[in-house]
Amino acid sequence: MYFDLHVHSAFSEGESSLREIATQAKLLGYNGICFAEYFKNKDKMNEIKQEIKQVEKEAMIKIFLGFEARNSNELKKLVKLRREYDVLLVRGYDLALNRLAVETPEVDILTHPELNRKDSGLNHVLVREAAKNNVAIEINFRNILLNNKGSRSIVLKHIAQNIKLCKKYKAPMISCSGAISHWQLKDPKVLISMAMMLGLDIKQAKETVSTTPESIIKQIKERCSEKWIMPGVKEL
Amino acid sequence: MDNAWGERVMKLRVLPASLRERNRYILFKIIAEAPIEYSDLEGAIWNTMLDFLGEHGVSKTSVWLMKDRWNEKEQTCVIRCNHLSVYEVIASLGLITRLGDARVAVKILKVSGTIKGLNIIHTNL
Repeated sequence: MYFDLHVHSAFSEGESSLREIATQAKLLGYNGICFAEYFKNKDKMNEIKQEIKQVEKEAMIKIFLGFEARNSNELKKLVKLRREYDVLLVRGYDLALNRLAVETPEVDILTHPELNRKDSGLNHVLVREAAKNNVAIEINFRNILLNNKGSRSIVLKHIAQNIKLCKKYKAPMISCSGAISHWQLKDPKVLISMAMMLGLDIKQAKETVSTTPESIIKQIKERCSEKWIMPGVKEL
Repeated sequence: MDNAWGERVMKLRVLPASLRERNRYILFKIIAEAPIEYSDLEGAIWNTMLDFLGEHGVSKTSVWLMKDRWNEKEQTCVIRCNHLSVYEVIASLGLITRLGDARVAVKILKVSGTIKGLNIIHTNL
């Protein structure tokens, strides 16, 4: 079972509709995808939810709704509304935000912590926190795809550094396309191959597109139950 | 063996199986906005691989795009590489975003140690 939990549709910065993305993802062999949108208000959230329900039936693929926090205020807002959507992502680039993300147990994925940085955006302290709070560190394919020559080599170096730290501290890792168009969606085997090139063995690389997303999805189901109060706390 | 001018042509003896490179054949499909041509595909694969892996990296993969396995109707093709470089080649294929004017996505259909193992039905052969 393969999942891509970081795709942008036209509701946020993306270019393609939910329908186009879902159809392409099904064609490439995914069992589920997650639309990572930017939070505006509750009405917009309900509008996306309704469209997702329709598309899910048509495309015959599991679709999740996620929100990507771009700053600490957005993150605080989204943590309060945690039960109303599936996946909480944090757009990494700023060190303070990276730190806040890995220290927040409600967060599922820290996306591209190395984006537009001269360092990898993570160190041993942050990765240890990510492992403790079960926050997955993303290997973002779009960040590799859209850079070239010198800048791509730097991005690859930073991702490889993050992978090394995640392996040492056993922090969860997730491979995502980070697509903003349905043409940027990648075959899961491409994501696995890229993860292997950056330092993972085949078992770990496969886990980044199957086991880690599956464990996030399992948490979504737990969160939907009435007994769930907050991460690590539930009624017995 | 003599050639047309009656000169003796030396041929290399085939390497023993234990010294030969082990090949892998990757069958892939191009999903594109519009049908693409083989020449565009060949150029894009070489350019992308040379950009991503470099000349030295590409030489290590022993990569070869098999023209006779190009299926224009299905838009599928086979690329050959050695058994140690399958992941480098697949990752490089994923970096192809455009062929000519058309935006594309590459779907990996199968990887096999023999061409026969790919089970391709060639309608145009």
